Amino acid sequence: MAPELGRLITDLGERSTYDAASQCSRCGYCEQACPTYVATGRESHSARGRNQLVRQLMEGKLKDPSAAQEALSTCLLCGACSTACYAHVPTADIVLEGRRKLAEEPPALVRLLSWLLIEHPSVLAVLLKCAYAAKRMGLPKLFAPLLRLLGFDALVEADAHVREAPYGFLFEKLRRKQWSENPEWLYFAACGPNYLYPRVGLATVKSLEALRGPGAFLDNGCCGLLSYNYGSIDDARTLAKRAIEAHEKRGKNLPVVADCSSCVAHLKSYPQLFSGEIAWRQRAEAFSDKVRDAVEEFADCELPEGTAKAVTYHESCRACHGQGLRTPKALLKKACGDSFHELPESDVCCGGAGAFSFVNPELSNEVLVRKISKIAVSRAELVLTSSTSCLIQLAHGLKKYYPQGHVMHLSEFIALRLSQGKHELHGKTTRA
Amino acid sequence: MIRSLESLEEVLHPGSLLAEEADLAAYSYDGALDRARPDAVVLAKDAAEVRRAVQWCAKHKVPFTARGAGTNLSGGCIPLKGGVMIALARLNRILAVDTKARFAMVEPGVVNLHLQQELEKAGFFYAPDPASFKVSTLGGNLSENAGGPRCLKYGTTTNHMLAVEAVMPDGSLQKFDLAEGGPELASLLVGAEGTLGIIVKAWLKILPIPKDIRTILAGFGSIDAAVECVSAIVAAGIVPRVLEALDRTTVESVEAYSNAGYPKTEAVLLIELDGDAVVVAADSESVEALCRKHGASEVRSAKDEAQREKLWEGRRGAYAAMARLAPNVMVEDGVVPRDKLPEVVRRIQEITAKYKLRAGLLFHAGDGNIHPNIAYDERDLEETARVKAAGHEILQACVELGGSLSGEHGIGVDKRDAMAWLFTPETLDLFRRIKREIDPENLANPDKLFPLADNKSGRTYIKPPSPKLSEEAEHLVQKLRQHAAENRAMQIIGSGSRWRDEAEGLAALRTTSLNHIIDLDKKNFTITVESGISPYELHMALRREGCFIRLPDCGGTLGGLLASKAQPSLRDDLLGMRLLLADGSVVELGGKVVKNVAGYDAPRLVLGSWGTLGVILDVTFKIYGRPQEKLSADPAPKPFTPGPWHRAIKRAFDPKNLLNPWLFA
Repeated sequence: MAPELGRLITDLGERSTYDAASQCSRCGYCEQACPTYVATGRESHSARGRNQLVRQLMEGKLKDPSAAQEALSTCLLCGACSTACYAHVPTADIVLEGRRKLAEEPPALVRLLSWLLIEHPSVLAVLLKCAYAAKRMGLPKLFAPLLRLLGFDALVEADAHVREAPYGFLFEKLRRKQWSENPEWLYFAACGPNYLYPRVGLATVKSLEALRGPGAFLDNGCCGLLSYNYGSIDDARTLAKRAIEAHEKRGKNLPVVADCSSCVAHLKSYPQLFSGEIAWRQRAEAFSDKVRDAVEEFADCELPEGTAKAVTYHESCRACHGQGLRTPKALLKKACGDSFHELPESDVCCGGAGAFSFVNPELSNEVLVRKISKIAVSRAELVLTSSTSCLIQLAHGLKKYYPQGHVMHLSEFIALRLSQGKHELHGKTTRA
Repeated sequence: MIRSLESLEEVLHPGSLLAEEADLAAYSYDGALDRARPDAVVLAKDAAEVRRAVQWCAKHKVPFTARGAGTNLSGGCIPLKGGVMIALARLNRILAVDTKARFAMVEPGVVNLHLQQELEKAGFFYAPDPASFKVSTLGGNLSENAGGPRCLKYGTTTNHMLAVEAVMPDGSLQKFDLAEGGPELASLLVGAEGTLGIIVKAWLKILPIPKDIRTILAGFGSIDAAVECVSAIVAAGIVPRVLEALDRTTVESVEAYSNAGYPKTEAVLLIELDGDAVVVAADSESVEALCRKHGASEVRSAKDEAQREKLWEGRRGAYAAMARLAPNVMVEDGVVPRDKLPEVVRRIQEITAKYKLRAGLLFHAGDGNIHPNIAYDERDLEETARVKAAGHEILQACVELGGSLSGEHGIGVDKRDAMAWLFTPETLDLFRRIKREIDPENLANPDKLFPLADNKSGRTYIKPPSPKLSEEAEHLVQKLRQHAAENRAMQIIGSGSRWRDEAEGLAALRTTSLNHIIDLDKKNFTITVESGISPYELHMALRREGCFIRLPDCGGTLGGLLASKAQPSLRDDLLGMRLLLADGSVVELGGKVVKNVAGYDAPRLVLGSWGTLGVILDVTFKIYGRPQEKLSADPAPKPFTPGPWHRAIKRAFDPKNLLNPWLFA
């Protein structure tokens, strides 16, 4: 199979990647929406610049194609440019196509992770538990120089960023749970909640049960976003097919709810993976139609009164730009009243962006500093968000630059409000 | 080509020099179709670094091109000769906001919107609002003399500039301030598209946010009816902040994209008034009545923010809707005297039909600035050729109707050949001399603005002939020519009210007999008047016609008032000028349109020049249908002491120093 998709589903219909890139008229209206352009002022690090580079790459106009590599690898894939663009040119997808065209070898760690996620998820679980145990003992810090020497810079960065090391995984807990025979919804455990933030997944399930009735666990694997962004399209397709099959088996009319907006946006874009395979394309469309972000499910819920703690909301890119979901802010305004503080630039990326913060630590930090400064300006004590990557990045950034702030997934906040509306909110936050 | 970048890198901050192919490719385009790669990019951090880069270019004779956000629509920031691209995006600090003295001091890379946001906190705003304001930079806005919907009332960027500091092509740093005496070099740099230097700091006028804003939307059965309504509004002395028009094609494409709910009529006007509540209320009532009187089928009015936003939706979505029809949109930018709008619309329809294209029309109707938008795919070379040909013919139509090539997008490379349609060879020569004297090595953004020497585009001057010079003016021209032929120095003398005694040994050129009103255009609200008239008499004559002008009501001659710049705001409403140069040629600068960014702003340059650059024969001003604020004039303005750049300008206008020579002695 070709390493690229070749065809993209755009706001204007399905287009070849080249046509999609050519839809950019170079008006430049996306420039200020692009966090890496705002941070660097460098055209090649802007959405327009990247679109033009991919286009020139496809037109054979770059003498040295690898010249585009840095520009493409520094894209956060946040999609803010597409929101700003009148034609909603899908720059993030186009950049990924460009990366695939350059046939960049994915980082060794990513290859290993992809392979484990597809072939041996149980081995991965064991390995992660070992790693967490090591982390709790402080070993990675000790061996950081050695790891860097071996080329595992990203692993060292990951260790420095991630402040969690749960003892048990979400899927273990959910498998043990008593579920309804007649579920109204299915919970899709994304890797973030699964391996890093089980408490987020538990909060989502608890809240959904309270608000949407009984549900069930899909007992799924990885959604394939990691492979889509950093690995191979074929791996992404394999994982997508598994998710689709799992859903079909459990009841294809049931909504599938997940609580990592990055994964949800990817689940919703499954049809794009199968433009050449009509049967799978249809199955993917049927599946994606049923996918819901947890933030969508909570959008119209009624929450009991709670604390006056200053709350703000960071919109995960893949919720607001990837799916066009803007509802949580309205929900929180209603639920928190005056204690909801508007976050300036709430829809600008925090710099987490999946593995971006591990691979491009300096640029990521520049974007992060801006985000934290806006949080400080909002004077919020509690920042809510909806994507794993944002949780990691904001916890890291808040501890470093604004230690009075804490971050929590929207689901956790909802679960807390539902369970202890009358009491003070002093539940466990993602304490930095 | 640059042989070695090492010596350039040495003068820059680490990381400021970009020379990898991806970066060169990324600075090869702007918002239009032209392409050229620079040999290197300097992503400057501060003004000092810009200066060092330009000094390096000057030393090594390497061309350089400045770039802000790269949203230019005329190829203005394409490095046609390669060389160094100087990117200003990181010079993005707002250095000061002074609400008491009402100015902001900014770096050129500050995004227009960011200044607006900063000012809003203090209850102020910056008037120029080009469509690209969310991303375009103030340096770019200044260099293009950007406009926007709001400039009908508030004027374009040049009307909001107080001073600029620029790195000149020789690498020197120079501040030009309107408050200083002498020819207005600051005005010359605005709209020069980076061909005379790089603006690295600017002082901009800021205004308090108006108390009340009212928005009115009206649908008309024909473009003619809409334009007549516009003229009636202006004639009633009302100056809306915004007076936008959309044609049926545009409204239909917007409605297909977003449901703005605009009336489905041949033309829609969007009118916005601002100011004190009482005036706004009275004026908006008059505007609504005028709309109905001119046959508007539907008139809607909005007071609060939400309602206003709803009325704006269609206008805001107009470009967006076009941008979704095809990959590219040609946004043509021509200007005609306002009363010629219906005619130019008919011509545009004929032209687009001829080329089998469909244009959506969007225009700043208040100032005769039209934007036909044509969606196309640049990869279709045949279609692109048709679009370009149609664009050129539309511009020709504008010039033939007495208008101009560009109201706000600039000339750049796209329209440089067309400059020969609008300006006489003598005027183009003057522009070229200005460029040559300020940038003798032709390094600053070369090959822009004017037709190249080997231009073979065929068509030459097509502007309708200007009104004939009066007999007295003709006589003065002949007299100057005689003296010039003898290399005899001359002194220009008006009524003698601001001037020192007549100098001995100089031939006198008296202007007092040049006292005719050449053209009073009450449809377009402009007046062209000779320079020997007294402002006092001019006011009287206009009042008799029910018209008003923003000039001091004083004695002396109009020419003397302008040449001595006895009142700083003389520049605000100055549209055009015929100037008799020392070599006997007559150049026509500017015109009868209120928005015009074609060519250097030479009319304003002449302000404060004390007769050293040429003899002002006549001037064109914007006039009003209501009495204007009273302006005073400095009774004893002081002549200036020329600086080096004044001398350069003098060489361009009067190389032999024949006119009022003692000032440059």
